[in-house]
Amino acid sequence: MERETLDVDVLIVGGGPAGLSAALHLARLRKSCGGEPLAIAVLEKSRESGSHMLSGAVFDPSALQDLLPDFEARGAPLGPSVREDRLLFLTEHRALRFPFTPPPLDNHGCYVMSLNRFVRWLAEQAEAEGVDVFNGFAATEVLYDGDRVVGVRTGDRGVSRRGERRATFEPGVDIKASVTILADGVRGNLTKTVLRRMRLDAASQPQTYALGIKELWDVPSGRLEPGTVVHTMGYPLRFEEFGGGFIYALTPERLSVGFVTGLDYRDPLFDPHAMFQRFKRHPRVAALLADGQLVGYGAKALPEGGWHALPRPYLDGALIIGDAAGYLNSLRLKGIHLAMRTGMYAAETALEALRTGDASASQLRMFQAKVDDGEVRRELYPVRNVHQGFGHGLLAGLAYAGLSILTHGWWIRDPMPGHAGHERMATVSAYHGHRAARHAAADVPIDRTLTFDRLTNVHFSGTRHDEDQPVHLLVHDLDLCRTRCREEYANPCLRFCPANVYEMIESPDGPRLQINASNCVHCKACDIMDPYQIIDWVPPEGGGGPQYDGM
Amino acid sequence: MILVVAEQRQGELSHTSWEAVAAAQQIDAPVTAAVIGSGVGAAAEALAVADLAEVLVLDAPALSAYTADGWVQALTGIIQAEQPTLVILPHTYQTRDFVPALAVSLDRALLTDCTRSVRRDGELAFSRQMFQGKLMADVVPLGPPPHLVTFQSGAVSADAVVKGASPAATRAVSVAVDAAAIRQRPEPAFQEARNAVDLSKAERIVAVGRGIKGEEHLESVRRLAAAMGAEVAASRPICDAGWLPMDRQVGSSGQTVTPTLYLALGISGAIQHVVGMKGARTIVAVNKDADAPIFEIADYGFVGDLFEIVPAMIAELEGEKTAC
Repeated sequence: MERETLDVDVLIVGGGPAGLSAALHLARLRKSCGGEPLAIAVLEKSRESGSHMLSGAVFDPSALQDLLPDFEARGAPLGPSVREDRLLFLTEHRALRFPFTPPPLDNHGCYVMSLNRFVRWLAEQAEAEGVDVFNGFAATEVLYDGDRVVGVRTGDRGVSRRGERRATFEPGVDIKASVTILADGVRGNLTKTVLRRMRLDAASQPQTYALGIKELWDVPSGRLEPGTVVHTMGYPLRFEEFGGGFIYALTPERLSVGFVTGLDYRDPLFDPHAMFQRFKRHPRVAALLADGQLVGYGAKALPEGGWHALPRPYLDGALIIGDAAGYLNSLRLKGIHLAMRTGMYAAETALEALRTGDASASQLRMFQAKVDDGEVRRELYPVRNVHQGFGHGLLAGLAYAGLSILTHGWWIRDPMPGHAGHERMATVSAYHGHRAARHAAADVPIDRTLTFDRLTNVHFSGTRHDEDQPVHLLVHDLDLCRTRCREEYANPCLRFCPANVYEMIESPDGPRLQINASNCVHCKACDIMDPYQIIDWVPPEGGGGPQYDGM
Repeated sequence: MILVVAEQRQGELSHTSWEAVAAAQQIDAPVTAAVIGSGVGAAAEALAVADLAEVLVLDAPALSAYTADGWVQALTGIIQAEQPTLVILPHTYQTRDFVPALAVSLDRALLTDCTRSVRRDGELAFSRQMFQGKLMADVVPLGPPPHLVTFQSGAVSADAVVKGASPAATRAVSVAVDAAAIRQRPEPAFQEARNAVDLSKAERIVAVGRGIKGEEHLESVRRLAAAMGAEVAASRPICDAGWLPMDRQVGSSGQTVTPTLYLALGISGAIQHVVGMKGARTIVAVNKDADAPIFEIADYGFVGDLFEIVPAMIAELEGEKTAC
């Protein structure tokens, strides 16, 4: 089959804050040097820029100030600046306010914003600088020459559910570049294959993740002042589970409400979506949402492993930036500014590689030097063991988090050993013994006013996929689902997927896993948390996925 | 000389033929056009109003209906005899069918679906869209002439055709077309219906959901639908399982329907389904689960077992018929 080929100078895979900052910074740097404009391409699987972006989001503008100092004049949609931080410890019926705000959660100088609107704006800025943003194109494969990355291949279009070519078939395109920047986000499908093939994470601690589930609510005016930031700990989680809730006031009538749970829980019957519903039923939260209306839903995983879980981010011909590598500060609950910052470093590194005509790993190592000398290490290194500390439970984690401020992150065992989240999950019999296993979701009433079932929630993500295409969640052994997994873990995919993609259907031949691929909101939880690691999330046909607006 | 291959169907020129003539006129003069088929004299005369050097006509019984082999034979002969430097064709379904074979037969370069011609450093290049129109590539055909170039429909306006002061001369060309060498035998043209069933026009719909449990139970649903004079539709799990074709699916990823009567059997009423049928005038729901959200929008609801209710309805409706 003949494929079209496109040659560019720098190819950026993923049009999120990291990828677009890289593209924009590169175009502007080149302009300021007075060189010929570079061919810079950004591949983005969403049909419109920003529509697959989801975050809280409390935004630290430090990187944006360096990227576009005139961001205010350019109309950056940042939302209100943070006016008040509240940290609450929840019990089932009460909320205790911490008497002071721990320094990492002091958000003064930050903004409450919608990430997907911000990214849409950032894409406009990049396009105005001559960057080509290819929306609706998913990269499915990394192209190598030996062990050197030379570009990527985009997905074929017009393939039927059975894998046959439809009348609309169009083969994917090979895009080749001197430097390829992988910014494919948390658990990026290309980064995953590159890390594996090149063993870039061999010296790192296992990456750990959390899953954020979020809703947008329209509520009667005046419940919270815009710019109010509320974080909660405790209920409905137990001490052994990592996570917490958030409520951010975007406008007098619009709240961003969400719940983050560590994807390293032990109880196989644990259910992140049910935890979120329970969180909303807490009297303090329910009061804020009373007489309000759900207007949006979404979910996204986030990398929590921190400094010690970062892979080597440079290799021959390529760099890995943003969430794809894991540049996120889990103590501050922030990664957008680090994604942007690493995007800028990647742009500076790529420009130097083009100037010297050398894109080898030893040249691109310059990126690591920038990380080590700059804000990224300064922010991540002191908290390098904190997330691992929470692996010993909430109290140990809090104690260590406090202690680390005094020791600058030092610990007797540094790096503090961590485990991949999916390895921590226990079997039903090991965790629950002979007690009647209780599903966490069993006692959360769904009233479709305050609490919602997954299917209804998914509708509010606006997710859409062409139905006649191959299933993009590759489960490599469906037999295992109906036999071993059912027995050992009671099919945890039914619970960790926040979008009702996985269902066990009782059929005359026994139970069978049904994959409702078109419900997928691209959060990656299944790829991360499946205890047998037999689920591979691959991109669906370009353009499919959630249509977040205001998230 | 530039040769334009016009397209006709039953002696009538296609609109895109005019666009191809205009595209050719914008490149260079003189332009010659060719019309092939059977009984195409009128089409050739119509074409002659354009400012053309001449109009070539190949009228052969073997070309009475379109076949790829016939067109390749005829056009190979004409192009070899006339030696144009460039051949322009409209990028129609018919052209897409034969032009790759024509290019192979002539062993010449082919550029498809172009939107304009440009001069680049004295060379003639053609623009093509890439990445679904995000980028334009200017492509220069290489190798000996003539190059074959097809133009996207609508890329050049037919209004731009330059008319001649007097009608162009028409000339019959003699190219033998061997009917025996044509491997295709065309059937009469037909237009495929867009959807086998158009549920949006149905007056009554019987829709089934997961409560139906097995494919074998669909038969009684079909019987009920027949007795009611209704179309059968389904919620997504049924079509996902392949029990009914996708065009029977109602909901956000299927059709939106507004019948006067919508009977929902074993459908829970997920919002994805409801958005496709909430416009029905009367909604009747049958479901075992009294808490199913379908009852929130149903005008009439039966909490019960559809395997009892459906046979009873069939008996009632069919009994009524035999009674008349």
